[in-house]
Amino acid sequence: MARCIQTSHLTKSYGATVAVQDLSLELASGEVLGLLGPNGAGKSTTLYMLSGLVPPTSGTVTIFGKDLRKGFLEIASRMGVVVERPSFYNHLSARKNLLLLAMLAGRNVTVDRALDMAGLLPVASKKVGDLSMGMRQRLSLAQAMLTEPELLLLDEPASGLDVESTQEILKLLRRLADEAKVTILFASHMMHEVEALCDRVAILNEGKLLACDATNALLSYDPSHVEVLLDAPEAASKRLVEQDWVEAVNFKPGRLEVRLRSGTSHQLTAFLVNAGYKVTGVIPKRRTLQEYFLKVLNS
Amino acid sequence: MIRRIWTAYTVELIKARRLWFTYIGPVLVVLAVLGAPLLRPIERDGVSDYGFIAYATPVALNLLGLVLLLTYCAGLISSELSGGSIRMVLVRPLRRCEFLAAKLLLGMTYAVVLTVLVGMTSWLLAFTFGELAGVSYGGEVIYTAGQMRNAYLLGMLLSLVPQFAAVAYALMLSTFTRNTGAAIGAAIGLWIVLDTLKHPLRISPYLFSTYLEVPWKVFSNYGEMLDASWLPAVKYGLATSVASFVLFAFIAGCTLSRRNLHA
Repeated sequence: MARCIQTSHLTKSYGATVAVQDLSLELASGEVLGLLGPNGAGKSTTLYMLSGLVPPTSGTVTIFGKDLRKGFLEIASRMGVVVERPSFYNHLSARKNLLLLAMLAGRNVTVDRALDMAGLLPVASKKVGDLSMGMRQRLSLAQAMLTEPELLLLDEPASGLDVESTQEILKLLRRLADEAKVTILFASHMMHEVEALCDRVAILNEGKLLACDATNALLSYDPSHVEVLLDAPEAASKRLVEQDWVEAVNFKPGRLEVRLRSGTSHQLTAFLVNAGYKVTGVIPKRRTLQEYFLKVLNS
Repeated sequence: MIRRIWTAYTVELIKARRLWFTYIGPVLVVLAVLGAPLLRPIERDGVSDYGFIAYATPVALNLLGLVLLLTYCAGLISSELSGGSIRMVLVRPLRRCEFLAAKLLLGMTYAVVLTVLVGMTSWLLAFTFGELAGVSYGGEVIYTAGQMRNAYLLGMLLSLVPQFAAVAYALMLSTFTRNTGAAIGAAIGLWIVLDTLKHPLRISPYLFSTYLEVPWKVFSNYGEMLDASWLPAVKYGLATSVASFVLFAFIAGCTLSRRNLHA
């Protein structure tokens, strides 16, 4: 698959503070990559550098096979960006704002299509200053999708939206990725948003890339983390704790959550049955993104 | 590039047209000219009508108009930086220098509007209450109405050059800070400091602000039945203004291109 974004040793410093350090990342066309990280991890700075709003201290950004600095005009014409805390011209209507931005994009586009997509048609004539925070966030998405971009750089696009609107937006973005093959780089600290939308997840902390893997691989069933349904969980938990192949046991009414040392999962059921417990089920636990995220951060 | 600058300029005009703040300057300079007859009455004596124009134009333009122009232009970029709207604009296929050029054009348009309004209002008042039949003394026409009109029009045209330099100066300060109040304060404050110190420091010939009133001198002298020449003051005025314009625009361009436009 063709590469859409490639960053090489991208670094951004503000004086002595290093916001992003030596970030090398690739994103294939049509892929959705989630940038996860706690506040101050460097997610927004990375997106700002990719969108040309913040010049990098060192390193290069290549988008659509072109160097960002040299080919900015062409790249920008094929890209849509949602920035953190979007700001518009408050004295103009939502429609007028989009019309002006479309003019700057040099495209003759139908603004109402983008407004409709973002669910803003009923308030299109209202001044932006009179719109709620959520509406402005939707308008920000509308402006990003105004010119039917091939690449979307989204910084917390669902920030300030209610649950229902967030779901709608995530569905819309997934549809754009699946049907229109739009490449999306999605920065968020909301795990469930990233989990629902992204093909791949990159975890940033203190400006460094800690991990980057396919979401499915991260969220796969973990054979060393199981839930056991049995008749006497409390007594069994005491026996299991003593075993050297058991890492941790968490007792819950009617069941146990057991963490095993890797490669020892086959021993658990045999041990419990031989000890005389009535085991009615052993269910491998699905790793959540949050667990993975915390594990990566802590390591 | 020119097409993109023109589009950005059109966008700026549309935005400015719908902002009430844009209209404060034009209204105030017109009011200043309308109030000027109280200080310099116009009579049908063949001299005082031109005298009124020569008095009202520099007062409205170079005192009040200049403050209004600096205020307006100092807020052009700093307000976008503080509000964050600049980020929406600069992720479009538009270079930062092109955005700056569009803002410069808007500021220059503002200067033209103020100048034209002052000119039109003062001439309209002089025409209504005076005669504008040329400057005459004892029945002898010294400067014809045509000569006076041409001197004024040329003065008006030449006065735009230092005003454009003032636009670039204010816009440069506007790129330095996200705080619009600070940008306006710096633009006016620094101007006052320089204007106060330029003579003791003997730098006045090198400052474009020295030549703001020079273009009106010929018209003013004609109105007082004196001989007058455009050169060499206008030449120095043009040279310092053009050099200042280029320098300020260059500094503004460098500042804006290096700015981090994060939230």
